[in-house]
Amino acid sequence: MKRNAATMTNALAIAALLVLSAPGVGATEQCGECHPEERVSFASSVHAREGVGCTSCHGGDDTTLDSQSAHRGEFRSLSDRSEIPGVCAECHASQERMRPYNLPVDQYALYQTSRHGMAVAGGDDRAAVCTDCHGAHEIRAADDPQSTVYGRNIPDTCGRCHADAALMEPYGLDPQVTANYRSGVHGKALLDAHQSAAPNCTSCHGVHGGAPPSFGDIDKVCGSCHEKARRAFLAGAHYEGMLAAELPECAACHAHHAIRQIDVAAIASSCSECHDQGSAQVLLGEKIRTLILAAEQELQKAEERIREAQRIPLEVEDHLSRLEEARTYLTEAHPLVHTVSQEAVEELTRRARSIAEEIQHEIYAELDRTVAHVGLAGFWFYLIMTLAILWAYKRRLRRGKSGS
Amino acid sequence: MNGERTGILEWLSRRLNLTEIFSLLTSFGLFYAEVDNRKPLREALGEALGRPSQSYARGPRILGLIVVVLIAVEILTGGLLALYYLPTPESAHASVSTIMRHVGFGWFVHQVHFWGAQLLVAVLILRLIRFLVQGVYRAPRELVWVCGALLLLVCFHADLTGRILPWTSGAYWSGVRALEIIAAVPLYGDVGMFLIGGDQASISELTLIRSYILHIGLFPALAVLFIYLHFSTVRRVGLSEIAGEVKEVGSDFLRNHLANLAILLVLVIGVLVTLAVLVPTPFLEEADPFSTVPGVGPPWYLLAPFGFLELSSAVLPSWAAGTVLLLVFSAFVVLPLLDRTRPRRGAGPLTLGLAVVAVVVWILFTFYGARVA
Repeated sequence: MKRNAATMTNALAIAALLVLSAPGVGATEQCGECHPEERVSFASSVHAREGVGCTSCHGGDDTTLDSQSAHRGEFRSLSDRSEIPGVCAECHASQERMRPYNLPVDQYALYQTSRHGMAVAGGDDRAAVCTDCHGAHEIRAADDPQSTVYGRNIPDTCGRCHADAALMEPYGLDPQVTANYRSGVHGKALLDAHQSAAPNCTSCHGVHGGAPPSFGDIDKVCGSCHEKARRAFLAGAHYEGMLAAELPECAACHAHHAIRQIDVAAIASSCSECHDQGSAQVLLGEKIRTLILAAEQELQKAEERIREAQRIPLEVEDHLSRLEEARTYLTEAHPLVHTVSQEAVEELTRRARSIAEEIQHEIYAELDRTVAHVGLAGFWFYLIMTLAILWAYKRRLRRGKSGS
Repeated sequence: MNGERTGILEWLSRRLNLTEIFSLLTSFGLFYAEVDNRKPLREALGEALGRPSQSYARGPRILGLIVVVLIAVEILTGGLLALYYLPTPESAHASVSTIMRHVGFGWFVHQVHFWGAQLLVAVLILRLIRFLVQGVYRAPRELVWVCGALLLLVCFHADLTGRILPWTSGAYWSGVRALEIIAAVPLYGDVGMFLIGGDQASISELTLIRSYILHIGLFPALAVLFIYLHFSTVRRVGLSEIAGEVKEVGSDFLRNHLANLAILLVLVIGVLVTLAVLVPTPFLEEADPFSTVPGVGPPWYLLAPFGFLELSSAVLPSWAAGTVLLLVFSAFVVLPLLDRTRPRRGAGPLTLGLAVVAVVVWILFTFYGARVA
C-alpha cells in the first residue's frame, strides 16, 4: 500500500515536471524539428515562459512537419530588419496585452523618436532595431542578470555597435565611448564596484528613445541624479558663462563618458584648464579648496580627540552627535563648489569648522589632567610626611636601644 | 585609657582565644613567630619575642611582603569593583564604563586594581628569581619554592580571568590568544577548557561568567591558601638566612618590624597610586566576537609561551609543543625535587647556569612573541 502511494507520488511529480519544463511549447509546436538552434535559444526566453510561440512573430503553421505547409499563409521570415520594430509593437504597444505584466507600451513610440528609430525609418538598415539590443529568440527580462539589457550588461550591449570603428565611421561617431565610459567614475562604480544604482549608457541617453543630450541640456541630464550640484551650478556664474562660450556645461570640467570626479585637492588645477594660471578665477578655486580641506582637517582632528577621550573613558556621546552635524555641513558644502562662489561654500565650511574646533577645545579641557597631577603631588606630600614620621620613630627606637 | 583597654582585652580574652587570632594573623605576614596558642596573649607574645629572630620587612625578603600587601590591595579593590560589575556579555562593558565614568573614584579603583595585578605578577617573578639565586628551595625550604611557584601560576590565572571581565575588544582578543595557549597544553588544557566553557578560540557567554566566578572565588582563595602555607612553612623551618644578618630580641624589635611594615605599605600604595594616575590603562570599545582586532597578543607574561607556540608550529604538531610547555611548567614547580645537591649557600653553578639560560630563553621568546602578536 505504502509502496503504491510512493509510486503514485513519483509518477505525479514526473508528470508535473514534464508539463512545467516546457510551458508554452506545446506538443503542436514542430518548428524546432528543423530549427533546433532557434528552439534551444528560444526555450530560455521570457516569451517561451509566457506562452508566446514561434508563430506569434513569424506566422505560418507550427503543427506540421512539412516544410511547404509550415511556411505557407502569413508566414514572415523577418529577414528585413526594418520590419522588426513594427512586429514587436504588435504586442508591446498594445495596452490590452501588456496590462497584466504591468509593462509600459510607449517603447515603440519612443523608439521612433530615437536616433536609431529615425535612421531605420530613413532606410538605414545598419541602425539598431529591437533585436540588436534584446536578442532575437533568446529575449530575457531586463531584471535577469543574463539579459543583454540587464544594467551591468548594457555597456557591452551598446558597445557591440558603438565600439565598432568601421560601423561608426560613416556616422562620424567616436568608437571609444564605451572604453571611455569604463574608465570613468560611473563605469568603475557599475562594473568594478558592482554598484547596481550607478548609471549605465541608458541612464543619460534614454532607453528606447535613445539620443545624445544636446548642448544646453547636459546640466538637466546630470542633474537628474546630481540635484544639489545642478542647483548650485545654475545659481553660479559658470552656467551663463559656459552657455555664452558654448562650453558643454558639466562635461566641460567632468568630461563625458570618461566622467572624472574632481577631488577637492585638485579643484584649482582643474580651474586652470580654462582660466589663466594666476588669474582671479584660479585663485578663487584655490581659496575654495583651502576652505574645504581646512574644514576636513579640523573634523579629523576633532574625531581623533574624541577617540582619545573614549579610551579614558570620558562621556563623548554629545560630542559624537555634534561631530555628525559638522560632517553634514561639510557634505552639504561639497556640491556648493559648483556655485563657484566663495561665500556660499564658506558659510557651510565655517559652521563645520567651528563645531569641530569647539569639540576639540571642550575635550582638551576635559583631557586636562592638571587636577589629577596636583592631587597626586598632594598625596605624595602626605606619603612623605608619613614616611618621615615612621623613620623618626625607627630612629628613636634605635637610639633608645643604643642608650640602654 | 590604658586600664580601660586592658579591661577590654581581658574581657575579650575570657571569651575568645586572642592568642589563636593573633597567631592566625601572623600566618598572613603580620609577624613571623611561632606562638603558643594555649597561653594568654601577653605571655605568648613575650615568649615569642624572647626568641632571637630576624625581620623580614628588610632586604630581599620584602618581596614576599609586597606580595601580601598587593594581594590585600587586590582583594580590597576587587571587592569594591564587584559592587558595580555585572558579569554578562550584554552589560559587562556598560557596567565597567559606569564604574569608570560615573562612580566616584571608580576609575581610580579600577586602575589600582589593574596595576596591582601587573605589579603582583612582576614581583612574584622577581621573588622566584631571588629564591633561585639564593638557593631558597633546598631542604628544608622546598615548600617555600613550591608555594611561591604555585602562587605565581595562580596569579597568572587570576590576571587572565580578570582581563576578560571588562569585555573590551582588547581584553576579549587578548583572552582568546591566551585560551589558544592554554588549549594547546595537554591534560591541563582539557580541564581548563572544560572549566571555562570555551573551546580553542572562542569565548562564550559561559566563559565570561565562569571567569568571573574563578576570578573572585577560586583564585583568591588559592592565593590566600598558598600564602598561609608559605608562612606556615617559614615558621616551622625559619626565615631564609642572609649573610651577616643579626638576630634580634625584644619588643623594640617588634615595633621596628611593624614600622618597617608600615613604610613598605606606604611605598607600595604610593607606587600604585602614581601608576594609576599617570599611566592609566586605556578602556577600549566593546568586544565584538565577529571582528578580530589586529595586533592583540596574549598578556605580557604569556608572550613567551605564545612566541614558542608560534615558532614551533612550523616544526612541531601543537600537542607536542603543548607537552613541552607542560613539562617546562611542571619542572619549574617541582624544581626542589630535581636539584637535590646541597651547597652551603645559594644555587649550585649547574642549576644557576640552567636558570640563567631559562630566563634568557624566556625573555627571547617574549620578544619574539611580542613581535608576532
